[in-house]
Amino acid sequence: MKAVIIGAGRIGCGLAGELLHASGYELVFVTRTADTAAALNRFGCYRVILTDKHGRREVTVPVACALDAGATESIIQAIAEAEVIVTAVCAQNLAAIAPLIAAGLSRRSCPANVLAFENMDNAGPHLRRLVRSAMLVPRDVNLHGFSGAVISRMVTQRIAHASGDQPLTFVGDTAPEFVVHGPALRSPLPSIQGMTAVDDYYPWVLRKLYTFSAGHATAAYLGWLKGYHYIHTAIRDAEIRSAVLTAMSEGQSGLAARYGSQFAGSKADLEKIVERFENAVINDPVTRVARDPHRKLGAKERLVGAARLAEEAGIFPQQLAMATAAALCFRNAEGRRAGDDAALGHDAACVSCVLNQVCGLDSENEFCRKVAISCEQLAPSYSSGNLLLSLTRPMWSWLS
Amino acid sequence: MKIGMLMIRHPQTRISPIMPEVVTLLQGWGCTVDIIYPEEQATQLSTVHADHDLYVLKSGTDLSLSLAGSLHARGARILNPYPVAATMRDKIVSTRILQAAGVPVPETFVTSHPRRLASLLDSGPLVLKPYRGSQGRGIHIIWDADELDDVSNDEGPVFAQRYHKPEGEDHKIYYVGGQMFGVRRIFPAKTYAEKIGTPFTITPELREMALRCSRAFGVELFGFDVVISEGRPYVVDIQSFPGFKGVPDAALRLADYIYAAGQRLLNGEPLISAGVTAANGVAV
Repeated sequence: MKAVIIGAGRIGCGLAGELLHASGYELVFVTRTADTAAALNRFGCYRVILTDKHGRREVTVPVACALDAGATESIIQAIAEAEVIVTAVCAQNLAAIAPLIAAGLSRRSCPANVLAFENMDNAGPHLRRLVRSAMLVPRDVNLHGFSGAVISRMVTQRIAHASGDQPLTFVGDTAPEFVVHGPALRSPLPSIQGMTAVDDYYPWVLRKLYTFSAGHATAAYLGWLKGYHYIHTAIRDAEIRSAVLTAMSEGQSGLAARYGSQFAGSKADLEKIVERFENAVINDPVTRVARDPHRKLGAKERLVGAARLAEEAGIFPQQLAMATAAALCFRNAEGRRAGDDAALGHDAACVSCVLNQVCGLDSENEFCRKVAISCEQLAPSYSSGNLLLSLTRPMWSWLS
Repeated sequence: MKIGMLMIRHPQTRISPIMPEVVTLLQGWGCTVDIIYPEEQATQLSTVHADHDLYVLKSGTDLSLSLAGSLHARGARILNPYPVAATMRDKIVSTRILQAAGVPVPETFVTSHPRRLASLLDSGPLVLKPYRGSQGRGIHIIWDADELDDVSNDEGPVFAQRYHKPEGEDHKIYYVGGQMFGVRRIFPAKTYAEKIGTPFTITPELREMALRCSRAFGVELFGFDVVISEGRPYVVDIQSFPGFKGVPDAALRLADYIYAAGQRLLNGEPLISAGVTAANGVAV
């Protein structure tokens, strides 16, 4: 069995490659840079270090071949010969690789399944549309399956340089599970360790987004306000830990009301997520998890989406409001905030503009009002490097 | 990450939970932490090598400082770097650096014998401190020249500063990796509760002083004492790696800073964050 993995980054190597290898697939990687392809070919393998609170395990993953993005014909042929094609290239790069997938699939007479390990809720249908548009005979796309993948594993680091004397090494936690949309795939379904094919895919997207991702974002934005460098440090702060658990619980309540409490999970599930955030080997910087707040503050995203679902369930999302306000304060390394991308001003009145244009919230909405109040409390005191010393008794490190 | 911590063991009666918690946190994050008590061992000097990724110089004893200097000479990376820790330990040198950095300090005098300060008392009282002292030990407020006879100068140079009567409590400013924390406490603080003090929000003036201190010494881990007198702040002491008592989540913040510094070293980056450079010649 052959698999082509497009994207030799953290998810492509640290998750997809490791699981496909464990499931008996021979791996061909398509890389963005020639350096990475050369490193994979030079060693014929890479390493994955998997850690959790019980310890660490190192896996060596053999690589049959790595092709850099310029080797078009070889890539197309590899795709034509593969039963499974995985993408892990970031959503914005899917359009660039769709013609390669289209050309490769067009050479096949039997079905292949394409799994998009991308951070978007409709990755499968989106990629399918892109591939269909790139096919000479668009209906040929119907022969093949396309699904997104809801993953659990956090893979945060690539250590060892591509030009170094050690194989590329990726560090992640152990969680192997991922969910795909069964009806969107073609028989025979690939048998991959950790894979669960479900009939109703979207709730699984929301489940991850409104619990794990909501908690992760809450830890990052509050951790940033309180001056911590790493998620594993921030989550040790008792106030942040409590806020993270509450924010996830608020998201979980919304999920329970819509999909049932069994699907939404239990309090113990949330504690397990917090345990994963505590894993220092993952070494996840707060600024990495907090990056791109404009996207993460979207109406259906981890904070605002979870809050809206909680509100539908009659739960007022107090901590999600605080986390949303913190996300609106967050500035990236260039000093830009989520609202800056919308070219909005900074006065209190414009908090409502940001909440409307970035988060899709109506200023009459109670959650929106709460976020606006929190922003008004935080914004006047916030300045670069100043710390919020306490969430419950707002006190800043210095007077701005 | 392998960390060596130069520490001093405190008596069991003294409550000092922060550093043990820092050690526990770092170990929980996968660091190997070796605690070194220089006073409790006989160290063969020829075996002193930089065999840890990072050293943390918590103890301020002369032996620890000299051992840190030996490690520094062998290429060890130390928080705080030995030259800075040694400079901060010496009130004569550190005060001059603070003056040069524009940090307000009381008028300061040094001499070899207390009697030579007599004429200065015409302008007001003086505070005499051991020039390498710490924790408020050996401090005398001198109002009258006769009192100078009671001051011993057995411990070397005499360090004197103009006495400014404090208004209210002392202010301690702690600095951890660019983060600042203000704690008000009575002087001298005797009980643990008194040492914990009360957090306060730092004024722009105090913040500017903290930034000047950081730039002057080129470090991000220190504390200083401020006396407010007649509405004016004076820095009366600065310490490398103080106790950080009263800083919210102090152990977590220190562990976070030490871990991040270690990560920078492992990534081939400078020990001290970019942007913090010694402006007054403390070569690290």
